[in-house]
Amino acid sequence: MSAGARAGGWLARHLRATPTLLRVGFASMVAYRAEMVVWILTASLPLVMLALWNAAAADGPVSGFGQAEFARYFTATLVVRQLTGAWVVWELNHQVRTGALSPQLLRPVHPLAQNLAETAAAVPFRLVVLAPILALLLAWRPDIAWLPSPTQALLGLLSVVLAFLLSWLVQAIFGMLAFWLEQSLGLFSLWFAAYAVLGGYFLPVALLPGPVREAAAWLPFQATLATPVEVLLGLRDDPVHAVLVQLLWVVLALGTCAGMWRRGLVRYGAVGA
Amino acid sequence: MIDVRNLCKTYRVPLKDPGLAGSLRSLWNRRTRDVHAVADVSFSIQQGERVGFLGPNGAGKTTTLKMLSGLLHPTAGQVSVLGHRPQDRSPDLLRRITLVMGQKQQLLWDLPPRETFELNRAMYDLDRAQFRRTLDELVDLLRIGELIDKPARNLSLGERMKCELCAALLHRPQVLFLDEPTIGLDVEMQAEVRRFVADVNERLGATVILTSHYMQDIAALTPRLLVIDRGRLRYDGPRDALASRIAPERRVTVRGEVPALRELGFREEHGRMVATVPTSRVNALLSEVLAAVPAADLGVEEIPLDEVMARYFRGDEGEPGQAAS
Repeated sequence: MSAGARAGGWLARHLRATPTLLRVGFASMVAYRAEMVVWILTASLPLVMLALWNAAAADGPVSGFGQAEFARYFTATLVVRQLTGAWVVWELNHQVRTGALSPQLLRPVHPLAQNLAETAAAVPFRLVVLAPILALLLAWRPDIAWLPSPTQALLGLLSVVLAFLLSWLVQAIFGMLAFWLEQSLGLFSLWFAAYAVLGGYFLPVALLPGPVREAAAWLPFQATLATPVEVLLGLRDDPVHAVLVQLLWVVLALGTCAGMWRRGLVRYGAVGA
Repeated sequence: MIDVRNLCKTYRVPLKDPGLAGSLRSLWNRRTRDVHAVADVSFSIQQGERVGFLGPNGAGKTTTLKMLSGLLHPTAGQVSVLGHRPQDRSPDLLRRITLVMGQKQQLLWDLPPRETFELNRAMYDLDRAQFRRTLDELVDLLRIGELIDKPARNLSLGERMKCELCAALLHRPQVLFLDEPTIGLDVEMQAEVRRFVADVNERLGATVILTSHYMQDIAALTPRLLVIDRGRLRYDGPRDALASRIAPERRVTVRGEVPALRELGFREEHGRMVATVPTSRVNALLSEVLAAVPAADLGVEEIPLDEVMARYFRGDEGEPGQAAS
C-alpha cells in the first residue's frame, strides 16, 4: 500500500470515529461538570485585567484605548481564551509519567486525536458557562457590543479556529517533553508567562513598548490570542496577513508535534509504561 | 505468528546519592546506570497457543509483553507479531491484538462501561451489527449485563476487570496479551476470569500470552511456559515437563488427622496428612497407608506449581539455566 493510500485510510478512519469521539468527550465534560465550571472560571483573568485597565483609563485613554475599548478588548479576549482553552499539556504529562498513555496507544486511533476531539467537545460547554458572564458584562457596559463586518466575522472565525489549533499544539508539544524531562510543566509555566505578556492576555499588544512589540510580532504568542481578538474587533490593518502568519505557526507546530511524537514513543517506557 | 529473535531492552537509569548534597551533586554530575531488563530473548508462538510468562518481580516478563504489543521499542533484536513490527503500531496490527493490564485501565472512569465500548466501536471502526453481536456475546459470557450502565468508578475491582476484558475483546483480536489480569481479585473472580480466557481461546482460536503472579492462572490456562529471570529466557517448553523435572515427586494425602501415619513420613497440613515421595514410591506408600488405616480417604497430587517455581528460582535442582531448551 502506498504512503498516500495509507494516509488517506488513516484520515478516513479518524473522520469516521470523530462523531463518537466528540459525543463521548461531551459526555465526559458533563460528568465532570462541577470541576469544569471551576476550571473554566480559572481562565477568566481577562475580567480582572478589564477591571484594572478600566481604572487606569478613568482619566483618559491609554495609548488610544479608552474605557470602552478596554472593555471590548478584554471581553473579546475572555471569549477567545475560552474557545481556545486546552488541557492536553497536563493530561499528556500525566499519561507519559504514569504510563496511562499505554491503553490509548493500543487503539488504532491516535491518542492525540482523541484528546483534540475531547477539547473541541468542551467548547459548547464553555459557551454555556460563558453566556451569563457575557450577559452581566453587557448589562454593565452596553457599549461592549459590536457588530463585526462579514469579512471580519469570517476571518475572525478562521483566526479563532487557528488559535484553537495552535494553543492545543503548543500544549501538546510541552506535554510531550515529559518523554524526556521531569519538569515539562515548569517549562510550560514559562511559556504561559511570556504568552500572558506578549500574547495580549494581560494588556493589548499595542500597549507594549515599541521594541518589545516588534520582537513579539515574530513570536507565536499573539497567534494564540491577540490575533483573533484584534481581527474580530477590526483592530488589524492587515487581517489576512495576520491569519496567514497564524497558519504558518500551526503548520510549524504540527510538524514539531509529529516529530516529537515519533521520537517520544521510542523513549516511552523509560518513564514507566 | 509471533517470532522473537535476540530481543533486548536496556533502560538507562539515573543514579543519585540521597540527601540535599546528593541532589546538588546530581545537578552537574549526572550519573546513570544501564539496566538490562530483557537480554537476548528468542522464542516463537503459534496461532491458538496459550503461553504463560513466569518469573520473579523485575524479571523482564512485562517488559517483553509490552514490546510484543508495541508499547515499548526494543533496544536490539527483532519482533514480529502477525507479520508486523509491533513498535510501528500499524492499524492493521492494533486491530488484531489486545493487551489487558491488571494495573492499568482503559474504561472511562466517570462514564458507564457502555460508553467505553461505544468509543472502542468507533476507534476500531467496527460494523455496528457485528459489534452488537460481539457485545451481547461478551456481556453474556462475563455476566456483566447489570454493570455496563453504571459509572465505572462505582464498580468493584473485579467488576471493572470483567468490563476491561469486554472492552479489550470487542474487536475480536487474534492475539491476547494479558498482564496480571487477576491481580487484586478475590479467588472466585480469579476463577471466573480464567474460565473466560480459556473460553475465548477456544471460541475465537485466539492466541493467549499471559503473565501472572498467581500460579493458579498459569496452571489452569497455559500448557506452555516461558520462564524468564533477570532478563534472560531460562525455560521454554511444556509446563508439565518442567514440573516433572524440577519436582519429580507426588504428594500423597489422607483426609483427617491420623497420627499413626506419622511413622510413614506423613505430616499434618490444614486438617489432612501429607507425604511427599518420589513418583516411583507412590504405589508402595498407598498400600502401606491402606494396611495401616483401611478406611483412609486417599489422594495423590502433583507438586503445586508455585512450589515448583520456588524450587526452580532457588536453584534447588541445579542452575535454573540447565532447564532451558
